[in-house]
Amino acid sequence: MWGDGMLKAYIASVEMLKIDRHYDKSYVDMALEVIDAVLNGVGLTPSELDYIIVSTAFNSLLTHQVGSSYILAQYLGVKNVNVASVEAGEASGAAALDYAASLVKSGKASKVLVVGFEKMSEYPSWIVNREYSKILNYMVEGIKGVTPPDYAAIIMKEYMSKYNVTREDVFKWSVKMHENASKNPYAQLPFKISKDSYVKSLVMSDPITMHDSFPVGDGAAAALIVGDGFTNNAPKELVELVDVESSVNLPLYLREDLTVFEATAKSLSKLTSKHRVSVTKDMALNVYDTYNIYGLITLESLGVAERGKAHEVIDEMPYLNVGGGLKARGHPVGATPLYQLGELYKLMTEGFAGMKYDGEYGIIHSMSGPDNTSWLVLLRRCVR
Amino acid sequence: MKHSISIFWRDRENHYKLLITKCRNCGKSSYPKLKRCPYCGSTNVEVVESKGRGTLVNYTITYFRVDGSEAMLPKVIGLVKLDEGVKVPAEIVDVPDLSSLKPGLEVEAVLRKYSSDDPHGLIYYGLKFIPSIIKKQ
Repeated sequence: MWGDGMLKAYIASVEMLKIDRHYDKSYVDMALEVIDAVLNGVGLTPSELDYIIVSTAFNSLLTHQVGSSYILAQYLGVKNVNVASVEAGEASGAAALDYAASLVKSGKASKVLVVGFEKMSEYPSWIVNREYSKILNYMVEGIKGVTPPDYAAIIMKEYMSKYNVTREDVFKWSVKMHENASKNPYAQLPFKISKDSYVKSLVMSDPITMHDSFPVGDGAAAALIVGDGFTNNAPKELVELVDVESSVNLPLYLREDLTVFEATAKSLSKLTSKHRVSVTKDMALNVYDTYNIYGLITLESLGVAERGKAHEVIDEMPYLNVGGGLKARGHPVGATPLYQLGELYKLMTEGFAGMKYDGEYGIIHSMSGPDNTSWLVLLRRCVR
Repeated sequence: MKHSISIFWRDRENHYKLLITKCRNCGKSSYPKLKRCPYCGSTNVEVVESKGRGTLVNYTITYFRVDGSEAMLPKVIGLVKLDEGVKVPAEIVDVPDLSSLKPGLEVEAVLRKYSSDDPHGLIYYGLKFIPSIIKKQ
């Protein structure tokens, strides 16, 4: 835990690649593209970095590459730099931000580059599906053929039954995400969908269709996390990376209630007890919605909406997933929390997707599977 | 090879039996055979075997491909609440009419093929569930 007297960590820059099936780019190409954009933007060279922290969940499975942090450093031509990869399933990027902020706050480093990437289009979908399913417990769930959308479907059915919520109510999430993504230049699916488009969408695990789930795509995003010294020449509006908290939930089959994310709620409790911040409808909030039902349950677990009522409040939340969420922006897994960070950072400074957020706090929520582990990243605007 | 032989063999008890971990510290039961209680972390646990009967909590009919064959799709994946009170994730097979599936359906565990290393490799077996009414017929 970070206590009083620690240094502060700030976001100096975030750059993102448009999420797509980049058949012409390797993971190295994608990562170097966003790294160069970040470093050029702030006038640094790779040799000036203290750390390069990589976030990827599936690189060893899908590109056959272990140790991508030092591979990238070799491509950057730097030797005197600390490198490491961080992996926490779909929440890897949030864990990487925690690592970076801890280094800066402790004073061990002052310039930490975090780069998240995932190359999801190297194989046919069924192989990607097989590898992606390893976010669940391989020995208990994976080996039996139980997959993430299966759980999302079961949770969605339980939720609709328990709270008397309709299929159309749940689908409001997807419609809003696509509308937001239509204004995001980095989104994989930047188009609007109709409120009944799930009817003609391919079924994955009934009732989960392609339009209830994230698209598979390649992406990379990089962020430079710096200490106080580096902010002397920074723009007037700064964003502080205040804190990161996380928790772990029981596996789904051991939970009494399938329709609440207790790890998300616990992480919020840890964050609020330290920083006295609560999640409100007008806050800039960027949550994980691998499936639309997860977005709704996350809002309820964060206390923004009553149980079973999240679909009624999402239109009252102007700064909710402004980039379109995982649903429509996309979910290049190891990079996703960096995309969330980029969207919030830009929203709080220069503006993003046609909007500017003037509130003090922004929160990123990231999780792996149905709340198996959930992470919250607290950002705060600072005016110099 | 789809699975490691040694990984599968080492955990064979959990594939061929429905084992429940009962915690003597907090009193809660969990699945599968574990050395620590996932609820309280205690190592003061005992392992008992389920009778293999339960009811369907909920289910999905899935078309999500995780291998190269579509022959086995769609499949039914469900959460089963055993009579001993513990939930387990499992495939539900031998369902004559998908419309007969509903929460509360009585089911029983059976040994079936999980997967195989095509075309001439190992066959991996484990427990799935069938509607109890099938077994009675």
